[in-house]
Amino acid sequence: MYDILQALINGTFGWGWPDWLIYLISSLVVVTIILVVAPLQMLFFTYYERRVIARMQDRIGPNRVGPEGIWQPIADGVKMFTKEDIVPEAADRIVHFLAPCVVVAPTILMFAVVPWGPGMTPVDLPTSLLFFFAVSSISAVGLMMAGWASNNKFSLLGAMRAVAQMVSYEIPAVLSLIAIVMIVGSLSINSIIEYQAGLLISNRDLPGIPDLGLGWFVFTPVGFVAFIAFFIAALAEGERTPFDIPEADSEIVAGYMTEYSGMKFGLFYLAQYVLNFLLCAITAILFFGGWQGPGVNWLYAQAITPTNPDGNGLFNVLAGALGVFYFLLKTYIFFFVMVWLRGAFPRLRIDQLMDFGWKFLIPLTLANLFSAAVWVAFTRWGAAEGMLITVGWSPVLRWLAAFIITLAINIGVYLWLTQVYAASQAERRRVELEELSATL
Amino acid sequence: MEVVVQITFGVIAVFILVAAAMVVSVRNVIHAALWLIACFFGVGALYMLLEAEFLAVVQVLIYVGAVSVLILFAIMLTRQITGEGVRQLTNRWPVVLAIAALLFATVLAPTLINQQWNVPPAPPLGTPEPIAGPAELGRGFVNEFLIQFQVVGVLLTVALIGAIVIAYEERARRRKVLTLAEELELKRLREQTSPTVSEPVEAEPVVQESRSASER
Amino acid sequence: MLNAVPLPAVLTLAAALFCIGLFGALSRRNLIGVLMGVELMLNAVNINLVAFWRYFEARYITGQTFAIFIIAVAAAEAAVGLAMVIAVYRHYVTVQADEIDRLRG
Repeated sequence: MYDILQALINGTFGWGWPDWLIYLISSLVVVTIILVVAPLQMLFFTYYERRVIARMQDRIGPNRVGPEGIWQPIADGVKMFTKEDIVPEAADRIVHFLAPCVVVAPTILMFAVVPWGPGMTPVDLPTSLLFFFAVSSISAVGLMMAGWASNNKFSLLGAMRAVAQMVSYEIPAVLSLIAIVMIVGSLSINSIIEYQAGLLISNRDLPGIPDLGLGWFVFTPVGFVAFIAFFIAALAEGERTPFDIPEADSEIVAGYMTEYSGMKFGLFYLAQYVLNFLLCAITAILFFGGWQGPGVNWLYAQAITPTNPDGNGLFNVLAGALGVFYFLLKTYIFFFVMVWLRGAFPRLRIDQLMDFGWKFLIPLTLANLFSAAVWVAFTRWGAAEGMLITVGWSPVLRWLAAFIITLAINIGVYLWLTQVYAASQAERRRVELEELSATL
Repeated sequence: MEVVVQITFGVIAVFILVAAAMVVSVRNVIHAALWLIACFFGVGALYMLLEAEFLAVVQVLIYVGAVSVLILFAIMLTRQITGEGVRQLTNRWPVVLAIAALLFATVLAPTLINQQWNVPPAPPLGTPEPIAGPAELGRGFVNEFLIQFQVVGVLLTVALIGAIVIAYEERARRRKVLTLAEELELKRLREQTSPTVSEPVEAEPVVQESRSASER
Repeated sequence: MLNAVPLPAVLTLAAALFCIGLFGALSRRNLIGVLMGVELMLNAVNINLVAFWRYFEARYITGQTFAIFIIAVAAAEAAVGLAMVIAVYRHYVTVQADEIDRLRG
């Protein structure tokens, strides 16, 4: 944004404004765009989900409020705004007021590091992936505050369950990301996207590949297992079915949101959908290339960039538009999968949920981490690091060897783990029944 | 530009100290935990100002995301039945306050301010400084600090297992509500072990099934 | 940063935070309040380490490594300490430090 404004104001118009003013204006423009885009995405997602889940449940969904019901989310927003804000008398007023803020603020903050197109990241940090997950873990504190401040046993229990679920599934999510970070060698989201150029195989692994922007991580065994594990963990973090114990009306009233009405409930709702959008977006970015796709890199090479200050401004717009289109397409496809899973699965009990996270996903992601190390050893290391086996091999052969070995490791570990997990769950049920029959 | 940095440091410093003072003095222990979270954020901001970005993010991730949640869980699981009207500072707190204040004013502050630190002169603003970042951290963990890294791993594993063992509640004390599948399984097991007793066993499951169905 | 803020300022901030944490750890009746004071002291030590790292040898990673180890140890200690607090609560039904004043038998 700074480059574009600089070229526009000082170049085309020739006004010669000072640097700090252009920085200020570019920051304000970017912040305004984020604050407008985030709630708009949430509105669109609520409408999208309600229509899609309705079709899956053999009904139509909201179709009265506008043509095909597109003003429905706005009607929902108006309803949330105009409802009376009820605070229980015995509740802790300050904490009750702050809890929705502490839940919503991190989700909006996470937009700061998400790249929408080439060169279109609001804030480009060198450790942006870690920033993303650090900020997402702050909303767990907000959930606890909400559950406590309501002074209601159901709220407290629901908050504890929600936080236990969120914190437990952060671990396999981050572990599966570490495998990707090991392969790329950088924590920056932009580096991870740029690594995924190529055609089914990344440009960095095999230098001769034509750059079609399709060298995604999901086409490698390490990336595929990491994608599956991360998507399941993202379902649990965003509290989607089959992990939606915290918001299941038939289970625990409304969990930690029980005592909230009006706009505060609207904020929890907003936070949930925005978090789901961001998790879908991060899945698309890390495993499916984000804004990478056929044509984006070619267009961007001819645009105004920090390395190419006298490019053509039109190509900036074209590359940006195409990149945003690919990014949003992938994100919406993943959200469709999330809605699809909501329509298809019943929900898990809290103990089944915790068992699955700790006893299946974490060992799977740890084994995947080992596979990622093997991949890096085969494709990048040479005699200097001790990999004497691959001295003198061509890049194709190294990539092929890495692919086959990591495929074997991942499939073997997955089959073994499913067997062990099923056996342990059966054993647990048997032991519980024995104890019950002994006591009764 | 320097004035901006000084003002930022001043604001962060005041925020940290005010939050810490509130932690040790508010009556309600949940509010104290929330002020502690604010203090952790302040310390993270200070790390960011000191150009240790990775450490700032790690501080937020671990302290705010995990340790604070742990503290809040512990507070909620140990609710006082007598309510929040109890005193929360010991009888001799003025003495402790005097000791802490004297320690700061007479021992720590003069030592720190009067010491000749011999800080190496900073390069002028704008020249790129090679500051160590996450890449050097990773290399350090496997080269120079390998043993410390492994020991911390073992320590965390031991702490995890130890915390579970210490807070473990025995299975005999836990009440159990049966699901329908477990009830039927139990009935089947009992009929297998005692096939002669058929009449009373049949009368029970109807009552138990309806009870568990209404409890679910 | 180095030109603007002198090193003693950051160290004094860390010392003040340490003294506040010391006061909290010694004078709170709630066991969890004591633990919060200890966490404040550990954070003060971390600020000290990072300040020394930045002002003296920003080129090497030793200071940040030490700080990360301290964060890890503090998290482990908080976990075990809070597990003990929960076990104590289960036995004495209180977490006020001066009501837990009898050894077994």
